[in-house]
Amino acid sequence: MSESSSPIRLDLSSLREAPQDVLHLLPCEVEHNGSAPVARYFTPAIRQGSQEKSVSFRGRSLKGQEVIVPQGYVGLVLKEDQRPCTEEEERTVRLKSTFGTLTVWNLERAPSADDGLLLALSWPGIAEAIHAPVSRKEQ
Amino acid sequence: MRRPRRAAPRARGSRTMLGSGRRRPADSHADQWVLVAPEPVTDLPMKPDGGPLFTRLRNPSTGEAALYLFNSSAQQLFEVKAFHEEYRSWFIGQTVQHDGRLLFATPVDPLFLVLFYLIKAEKEKGKFQPLDQVVVDSEFSSCTMLLQCARVMDSLHHVIEEKEIGNKKFYKYSQEKTLTWLKKKVNQTVKVLKSSNVCVGGRVQSATFISGKQITDVKEDDYVRYAHGLISEYIPEDLSAELSKYLQLPELTSPEADPPLKKRKFSDAPVEAEEDYTKFNSSDLKNKKTTSKMSAAQKALAKVDKTGMKTMSAFFSAKTKATK
Repeated sequence: MSESSSPIRLDLSSLREAPQDVLHLLPCEVEHNGSAPVARYFTPAIRQGSQEKSVSFRGRSLKGQEVIVPQGYVGLVLKEDQRPCTEEEERTVRLKSTFGTLTVWNLERAPSADDGLLLALSWPGIAEAIHAPVSRKEQ
Repeated sequence: MRRPRRAAPRARGSRTMLGSGRRRPADSHADQWVLVAPEPVTDLPMKPDGGPLFTRLRNPSTGEAALYLFNSSAQQLFEVKAFHEEYRSWFIGQTVQHDGRLLFATPVDPLFLVLFYLIKAEKEKGKFQPLDQVVVDSEFSSCTMLLQCARVMDSLHHVIEEKEIGNKKFYKYSQEKTLTWLKKKVNQTVKVLKSSNVCVGGRVQSATFISGKQITDVKEDDYVRYAHGLISEYIPEDLSAELSKYLQLPELTSPEADPPLKKRKFSDAPVEAEEDYTKFNSSDLKNKKTTSKMSAAQKALAKVDKTGMKTMSAFFSAKTKATK
């Protein structure tokens, strides 16, 4: 078993100051990690329709829906600033920002209720049922 | 340069949209993750250097490595699953993140993970043993943390026979007790499924979230079978088969093919398939090129899936219209 599988500590010390971020899940791959002027080019192009949001992105029409993080849950963006040079050192990720909603974008057609991500957001509720201790009255 | 087979737009690093236009190699380490986690995960630790801990443990169904998360006090355990579709990236604030995955941390009953070791010990030795001799694993040393969960000790009696000699307690797996416990798990899952509008029937339905659109011809058996499928993701295959008998689930006359899991998946695969679960990108490249090749998790699921029961992955997988 390689040492790269060592545990990773989540550093919560920045929890109070952590900013809220606006998240958009795009229907395409962007082969880049780093800064992007989202507020300059993307956000101003978003139109809120009666049912859905729409935006033109690189000449393509995207339809989006804003979804809320399930009740009792929080959205966290975690960042590993520096990977330890040696594999013996404990790895740490810090809380970079939080989010309460995110917007899922599809090509042409707005995400519907049976879209993967929207279904996945119901998983926490099901998981709670499976993993709750068996109730006293049934014991 | 990989091109999507479907007409998804490609956005490369460009000066207008993405700043410098410099691209990082696709196989560089992902160093940022988007996670949805229960609020208690953010409870501050008692000690300043403490905090929740991501660690690998054995998936109690497959025995393979999977990613889990202990909260700060190490009293609650969560499993980490990745929701992932092809051709997804994130805008996060004023940044772009290539890895379009959404990780979910959801509660997991740590007793399932302990049960894996109890069953293993029963097969190997078949005798009463102290728990700290049962839950040991040279590959997954974090497994001993499971025994520090108060909840494990409180609920252990559901799955074991116990003997006390002197002041020491000795334990042995009891399949009979375990089946009784699992049936209660099935029952409580059925209850939530019924109130959640989740489509448990054989037919693929849409709009499962629209209330009042309950499907009327769903039988009790469908719920039980579905719950059995969900719980089977946390127990070894043999035990899943025993549980099916114990629940007296009728054989399906025409086992339905599960919807393909390829395009959209919500499974252990992205997290556990790699030795290093941060190497998300490289595994995706592989999966994309050979979509017919199943991941380890999918193979494991395919094994469990023999009776045509629904599984968690089927629950989250794409409807046929969305797959190719």
